[in-house]
Amino acid sequence: MTGPRQLDGSRRLEDFLAFSAEATAFTVFELRGTGQSQAYLNTCDGIVGTEVTDCLLDRYDAARSAVVASESTLPELLRRDILSDPQLGPVARNIAKMWFVGVWYELPRAWTEAFGAREGNATFVVSTQSYTEGLLWPAIGANPPGAKAPGFGSWAHPPRIPVFP
Amino acid sequence: MIFPRDATRRTDHKAASETFYDVVVVGSGISGAIIAEQLSQAGKRVLVLEAAADEDRSLKGYEGFLSRFYAAASKDNQSPYPHNPNAPMPRSTDARRIWPGQPDSSAYLVQNGPFSSDTTYTRVLGGTTMHWEAKTPRMLPQDFHLRTMFGLGQDWPLTYDDLSPYYVQAERELGVSADVEHQSYLGATFDPGYVFPMHELPLSYLDKVVAKGVDGTFVELDGEQFELSVRAFPQARNGVPNAAYDNGKGYVPVGAVNTHQVEEGERCQGNNNCVPLCPVQAKYHAGKTLAKALQDGRVDLLTRTVASKVLVDPATGRVDGIEVKVYQDPESPQHTTMIMRGQIFVLAANAIENPRLMLASGLSGSSGLMGRNLMDHAYLLSWALLPEMAGTFRGTNCTGGIVDLRAGSFRRQQAAFAVDIHNDGWGWATGAPYSDLVDLVDQQNLFGAELRRALPDRISRQLLLALMIDVLPNESNRVTVDPAYTDQLGNMRPVISYTVPEYTMRGVAYARQFARQVFQRLGAADHTAYDPTDGAYLTYEGEGYVIRGGNHLAGTHMMGTNSRNSVVDAQQRSWDHPNLYLVGGGSMPTIGTSNVTLTMAALCYRSAERIIAQLQDELSARLQTPAPTELPMPTVVAAS
Ligand SMILES: Cc1cc2nc3c(=O)[nH]c(=O)nc-3n(C[C@H](O)[C@H](O)[C@H](O)COP(=O)(O)OP(=O)(O)OC[C@H]3O[C@@H](n4cnc5c(N)ncnc54)[C@H](O)[C@@H]3O)c2cc1C
Ligand code: SF4
Repeated sequence: MTGPRQLDGSRRLEDFLAFSAEATAFTVFELRGTGQSQAYLNTCDGIVGTEVTDCLLDRYDAARSAVVASESTLPELLRRDILSDPQLGPVARNIAKMWFVGVWYELPRAWTEAFGAREGNATFVVSTQSYTEGLLWPAIGANPPGAKAPGFGSWAHPPRIPVFP
Repeated sequence: MIFPRDATRRTDHKAASETFYDVVVVGSGISGAIIAEQLSQAGKRVLVLEAAADEDRSLKGYEGFLSRFYAAASKDNQSPYPHNPNAPMPRSTDARRIWPGQPDSSAYLVQNGPFSSDTTYTRVLGGTTMHWEAKTPRMLPQDFHLRTMFGLGQDWPLTYDDLSPYYVQAERELGVSADVEHQSYLGATFDPGYVFPMHELPLSYLDKVVAKGVDGTFVELDGEQFELSVRAFPQARNGVPNAAYDNGKGYVPVGAVNTHQVEEGERCQGNNNCVPLCPVQAKYHAGKTLAKALQDGRVDLLTRTVASKVLVDPATGRVDGIEVKVYQDPESPQHTTMIMRGQIFVLAANAIENPRLMLASGLSGSSGLMGRNLMDHAYLLSWALLPEMAGTFRGTNCTGGIVDLRAGSFRRQQAAFAVDIHNDGWGWATGAPYSDLVDLVDQQNLFGAELRRALPDRISRQLLLALMIDVLPNESNRVTVDPAYTDQLGNMRPVISYTVPEYTMRGVAYARQFARQVFQRLGAADHTAYDPTDGAYLTYEGEGYVIRGGNHLAGTHMMGTNSRNSVVDAQQRSWDHPNLYLVGGGSMPTIGTSNVTLTMAALCYRSAERIIAQLQDELSARLQTPAPTELPMPTVVAAS
């Protein structure tokens, strides 16, 4: 299942971005704009291993294909096949959190007990940019504290929080 | 901060130890910087000793702090600052629950309890103002006379009016943004025509949402009616200069020591990061004053130089030197011990480190009060979700609050308080917004679009009130030292014993009710929950509370009218050692409900005048009685 992906780095990145767009409800275009795509994929690979990442991306691929013929919605399939999977669920949630705040959160104990401890699996900020590029801030109509300053007096006006359908 | 090139290297330790300075200052925080700057202006030779390393003296160093902050997984208020075992400092995340009889010595502050405080201060060049929030209210006239008025605490040997001209000086140096009409309340007065250097900073949209529910509400306390309103706090951060300042001369924001905007401090841009570090230096920090002090070449600054002992001549009681430990590498205990000499000595190392140094030097003082009466505001946090999106996480950490209960006859029974409306949401209480994200993803199982919708719903409606409650002096709240607890250089660490006084707890209980009432007015859902396993959890009359440290350390070398009721006089001069000044929050007999730093800055301007006069007096006296003034030679005392 994993063969072709490992051979083709750009395809892996595309798939990772597609899944990330699902996880965050930001578009692939917006995700690319953070400049963090490769760093996050590398972080994920570096900690859980490419095989686990690939497995997640395969499941996502499969769900996307299946949804056409399925009575379930894509989110329902993702919940069934990824988010409730003991191995893939925590990784998927970590990818979502990483996009929002640039932090890799230490995987839960249950995960490392079941699937083995991983080197570097601690809570850390992926990079200086990953903090300032966190998508949480635009999601709440704010700036990352300490960066991308909105300007004097901006705080006096009502917030502009992007309406999300 | 930008210092004249190589200011910290203009002198070396050997040359300094062979110089007899007019004044030797320990500490480069706001207190030490003001004293050094004033004395330098008066033409005096000054040596400033700073325990911290000096990476931060250029813009590059400052940006290094910023990167360290960005990259820190735990963004607590010390996260930008490097660990330095030779000049260690407390960190709010250090605080642990203390069990009776078992002091917690796991972190720099040894906490003897029973209350475990998470208060902090910063040992870096420029001191704690590098990461302070920069709220700068004056004390209220009533705060100076609590003993006379209510039989509580200690009276100051000074009045509001005595201090008023020095407040003006401090407001100039710190560059305070505020409007007089909103600061003239509860007896606070200003000279006719006075305006602050800069206009008040605009209230946040969140403040305005709160104001809609609160303005015009009355509360009754001790038979007195108080009308509430949301008001802007005076703040030491750059806003719009007031053209009417200084009789129409206007005001140029402090910090203009370099032609490059970024390096000198821009107008506040709403980075919402004042604590722990303002990325553009819109916020005042002591580096700005220090830079001025270093400009004319009369002030020498030595970093990596930890004052370890105050040396006193037993015959005269005068201080004749400060022993220092000089290190190169913060990670290594290797150091050289030397003695620095001068005519007058000023300890400006803050309200914990000043008494720590005195006690470690065996100087507990004739009053026995050295290190006692430690005060620090008790903060009670209360948090809720507003019914509407108020756009939390924008603006400075705090722009407005409710200050109408800072004074009144109710203080006879219970502590007064001021209320901050936090623009940074529940961050202080719960770790928001990170904790919200983790909860929504890991516990609420939200993903994708649902998560996107939930984030602003949970975060942008947050309201956190921080109720800052008065604490009175109490001799058993104290700093001591114990040879069992030392740092890497062998200096004794501060040992803190602290209880939150009952008078404060009465204020806490009332403050909690007050917050509930505000939430009721706003239709906000109260989410406040105090964790009984928190080291700072206390119960009072059947209810539990968590009290956060205020970072407003004071009282430990209190000023007073004589050598029995105080450590220093109204000029912050030691009663026991006529050429020693202990300056900073430690001198304050009470703290009322004002963040302490503006007041300590005012006190330092006052002391600087006195020090200049004393130097003059001692010079004239020496000229009249010619005596051998040869400088004793020993410099390097020991090496290890
Ligand atoms: C998070 C936070 C927020 C705050 N917000 C506010 C606010 O909004 N308003 C307000 O009024 N106050 C605030 N404060 C408090 C304020 O920062 C302090 O009151 C003020 O900085 C104290 O100034 P200082 O010069 O007396 O001491 P410090 O700033 O602590 O400076 C002391 C200096 O002495 C040095 N030193 C210590 N020991 C030695 C030694 N043995 N030898 C040589 N040097 C030594 C230290 O390294 C340091 O540079 C806040 C504090 C914190 C922590
Ligand atoms: S809000 Fe931002 S720019 Fe303004 S003082 Fe605070 S950190 Fe600096």
